[in-house]
Amino acid sequence: MPDISVKLGTKLTLTNPIMTASGTFGYGDEVSDLVDVNQFGAIVTKSLSLEPRVGNPAPRIAETPSGMLNSIGLANIGLEAFLADKKPFLAALSTKVVVNIAARTEDEFITVIERLDAEDWITAYEINVSCPNVKEGGIAFGTNPVVLKKLCEALRRTTKRFLIIKLSPNVTDIAKMAQIAEDSGADAISLINTVYGAAIDIYSRKPKINTVIGGLSGPAIKPIACANIIKVFSAVSVPIIGIGGICNGEDVIEFILAGATAVQLGTVNFMNPHAVGGIIRYIENYLQQQRLGAISDIIGCFER
Amino acid sequence: MRSLINGSVLDNRQIAEDIYRATIVTPDIAGAALPGQFINVYFPDSVKIFPRPFSIAGAEGSNIQLFYKVIGSQTELMSQWKPGDPVKILGPLGNSFEIPAPGTEIVLLAGGVGAAPLLFFRDRLYESGVKPKFFLGARTQNQLLLRADTKSELTIATDDGSCGSRGLVTAVFYEFLTGIDSPLTVCACGPDPMLKALKPMLENSNLAVYVSLEKTMACGLGLCQGCIVKNAGHNSSGDYSLVCRDGPVFNLRDIDFNA
Repeated sequence: MPDISVKLGTKLTLTNPIMTASGTFGYGDEVSDLVDVNQFGAIVTKSLSLEPRVGNPAPRIAETPSGMLNSIGLANIGLEAFLADKKPFLAALSTKVVVNIAARTEDEFITVIERLDAEDWITAYEINVSCPNVKEGGIAFGTNPVVLKKLCEALRRTTKRFLIIKLSPNVTDIAKMAQIAEDSGADAISLINTVYGAAIDIYSRKPKINTVIGGLSGPAIKPIACANIIKVFSAVSVPIIGIGGICNGEDVIEFILAGATAVQLGTVNFMNPHAVGGIIRYIENYLQQQRLGAISDIIGCFER
Repeated sequence: MRSLINGSVLDNRQIAEDIYRATIVTPDIAGAALPGQFINVYFPDSVKIFPRPFSIAGAEGSNIQLFYKVIGSQTELMSQWKPGDPVKILGPLGNSFEIPAPGTEIVLLAGGVGAAPLLFFRDRLYESGVKPKFFLGARTQNQLLLRADTKSELTIATDDGSCGSRGLVTAVFYEFLTGIDSPLTVCACGPDPMLKALKPMLENSNLAVYVSLEKTMACGLGLCQGCIVKNAGHNSSGDYSLVCRDGPVFNLRDIDFNA
């Protein structure tokens, strides 16, 4: 059997490259009766903030061609409820747990990380500097190079844990943002968060989501994600976690060839909650067919 | 227990104008289903990517029943289902209507294809020895899911008067209410304007009103947090509830329709 485990640098090994994308898999416990959560190489939780957030008003989602628009607004249960209610399930998993963190300020990020550092069942943090749907924090951290550098350096000083910076495609030069994250001590870069998008109902003349402009995800953005992975792969040496419209095993191989070491499944969890099992089988079959010993042999190996 | 499985179509036929009834063989879901719950139907469609939620309109033996109105390409596709066709479904999802305590009369109130979950509830009430009053409205007689019923006391209203009373079903229902002073549980499903029209009923403390809501859903599982309804002021469980996870059945007192 070929080796589908992946090393994210020297600090983190996953049994396979398939992770969940934050905000598309809750805290894992919501669907544990339907999906064997331990099939994933890692679970990334819904964005967590210090205090609970109720999120944005309705309507929050709309179906668009081969995709979806969302403006959830980082609705989440907050740090204390997370540790009280979700820890028993997450800590018992055999797979690795990555906690995605969103905050309005640098201090809020630090407070959350300092508290989570005491929890030994958490493997890594993914820092959301790319949410397009909130007024404070979110994408404001990930679109200004000076702000991003200061934040990443502060977080690196705060924790020794594996630190992933999740980047937005809604910038002029994503490679520059990735370099800043790497230079500031990030262990990995994940990309892309959702792409700015909008849709209008032509009869009511109202926008289809509450914030007018929201985040587009799903297969519609897969080529955008692929292009961004290629750009970032040639700009940094830390591992890339590829995100954006993956639906099947072919898409995963494509992202790994583009330069991703691991990937995250997002919107596909809504379209097909059982996707992960088929994807892992596909990867194993692909490697055997291609006479490859390990998935890590083809990272970034597309023909130029 | 929820399952994501391939069922197969047993029967699928048009029963009213643009309205179809499908019977699907899916033993696990049929065995677990409760009135008010729904299923997701998945389509092999890479353009319209969301599964579509449908109330379960009946469950008997290994089969469930769906009623659906053809309003877009997915329901158009469903209308072409032939016996034996595979259907990928997830369910049963969400919460359910509850049979009220003895001494409380129960009334069902439905508009259009919103009758679907209430037909299932009527079945279960009838099996438990209750023959509920059932107020059913539609635009015309051609869009009625039922014309006559042995399991309920059926009252029909159509907008054009082609069957039953002329006008809104809520008007007929309010007429009935004026003669009632004992505890009453109302279970309702229909278009949003119909459900909003029930709000004044809450001033009568003898009434408990449960409504089944419909919202655009991406997952049906509480993952995407898209299908929110605003909680009424006194409800302390956060500002919003999820229709897929906390509903689709809500006590009308607990939600705020105007948001």
